[in-house]
Amino acid sequence: MNVDTLTNAIVSGMNAGLEQFLEGTIAAVLPVIWLALLGLHLGRPYILDMIDRFTLRLGADLLWLIYIALRDFLILTGVVMSFMFLFPDVVSTDRLPLTGGFAAVMLFGVLLVKLMGDPDHNLRDFRLVTWLLAAGALFYFVPYLFGVMFDGVATGQLLTVSKFLVSNTNTTWAVVLGYITVALFAIMGAVAAGYTLMTGGRAEVPETTSK
Amino acid sequence: MNPNDVQTAVTNSLVQGGSQWLIATIVAFLPVLWTMALMLHLGRPYVLRTLRRCGLRLGADIWWMSYLLIRDALLLITFGLSWFFFEPNIVVNTPLPITGSLAALFLLLSLAVKLSRRVDDDVNAYRLSTLFMVIGATLYYGPLVFAVEAASQSYLSGFGQAFTSNSNPTVALVLVWISLAGVALVAAWLFVRALASANRSMGRRLTKERGKAMTGAAVGGE
Repeated sequence: MNVDTLTNAIVSGMNAGLEQFLEGTIAAVLPVIWLALLGLHLGRPYILDMIDRFTLRLGADLLWLIYIALRDFLILTGVVMSFMFLFPDVVSTDRLPLTGGFAAVMLFGVLLVKLMGDPDHNLRDFRLVTWLLAAGALFYFVPYLFGVMFDGVATGQLLTVSKFLVSNTNTTWAVVLGYITVALFAIMGAVAAGYTLMTGGRAEVPETTSK
Repeated sequence: MNPNDVQTAVTNSLVQGGSQWLIATIVAFLPVLWTMALMLHLGRPYVLRTLRRCGLRLGADIWWMSYLLIRDALLLITFGLSWFFFEPNIVVNTPLPITGSLAALFLLLSLAVKLSRRVDDDVNAYRLSTLFMVIGATLYYGPLVFAVEAASQSYLSGFGQAFTSNSNPTVALVLVWISLAGVALVAAWLFVRALASANRSMGRRLTKERGKAMTGAAVGGE
C-alpha cells in the first residue's frame, strides 16, 4: 500500500461515512420535527384560548403570528428534510422508514391545503389537514418504531416484518415507493404552481366579471 | 510505509476529502434551499390571507417583512451556493446534475425580474418570476433525482450517464459556458440598469438642488 492508495481509501471512507452520518442525523431529527408539528397543530385550541385572555391586541397578534410561523415552518422543514426519501441511492443504502416518503407527501398535502384553502378558519379544511397529519405521522412512526428501531431485538416473524419496514433491507419496495412519492410530489407541485400562476400570487383566485 | 507516509496520507485526505465533502454537502443542501425558496414563493397567497387577519398594522408589517426577507434571502443564497455549477473543474470531476448551471441561470432570471419590476404589486411580473423559478427547479430536481442520486439503479444507467456532469463532461461544459454567458448578460443588464436608474434619480435631485440654489442666488441678488 502506498500513500496515494491510503489517501484515496481515507477520502472514500470519510465521504461515504459523513454522508451517511448526515442522512442518519436528518432521519433521527425527523421524528422530533413530526412530534413538534403535531403538538403545535393539535395545540391550536390552547393557543386560541390564550389569545382570548390578552388585554392588548398587539400581544394577541404577535402570539398568533409566532404560533403560525413556527407551526408552518416546521411543516416546511419536515417536507424539505424528507427530500432524501426521493433519492433511490439513499433509500437503498441508508436505514430509513419504508413509507417515510408517503409521510412527506402527506405533509406536502397539508401545505397544498393551506395554500388553496383556509384551515385556520374553515372547518372542512382544518379537518382535512388534521387527517393528513395523522396519516403522515402513521406513515412515519410505524415503520420507524417497528422497523428501523426494532430490527435489532426482533426475532422470528417479527424480524421479517421489521426488516420489511426498513428501506435498505427491502430495496425493491423502497425504490418503487420512492418513485410513487416523486410522482405525487410532481403532481402536487404542479398543482401548487398552477394555482399560484392563476392567482398571480394574490390571496384568492380573482372573480370573473362575466355575468 | 512509515509514520511520515501515514501522516502525509491523512493530511492529504483531510484536505481533499474535506473539500469533496464540502462540495457534496452543498450539493445535498441545494435541493433543501431550492424547495424552501420555491415553497415560500408559491406560498404568497397563504401569507397574504394570514396578513389580512392581523388586527394591528405592526403585526402585519412584521409578518410581511419577515416573509419578504426570508423568501428573497433564500433566493439569493441559493444562487450564491449554485456558483460552483459554473466552475468547470468541479463540474467535470464531481457528479452534479448536468442542468444545474441552467437552473442557476433561471434562478438569476427570477431574481432579475424581482429587481427590475415590482413583483409584489404587478401580477404579470409575479407570474413571470414564478415561471422562471419553476423551470429552474425542474431543471435541478429532474437530473438530481433520476441521475445523480440513482446511480445504483441499473435501468436508469443511460439517463444517469447522460444527465450526470462527470459522466458526460462535454455536454456539461457546453451547458456551463452557455449558462455563464447568460449569467454575464443578465448581470451586465442589471448593472447598466442600476447605473442608469441611479444617474436618473440622482440627476433629478441634483437638478432640483441646483435650481433651488440658483433661485436663492437670484432672490439674494435682487
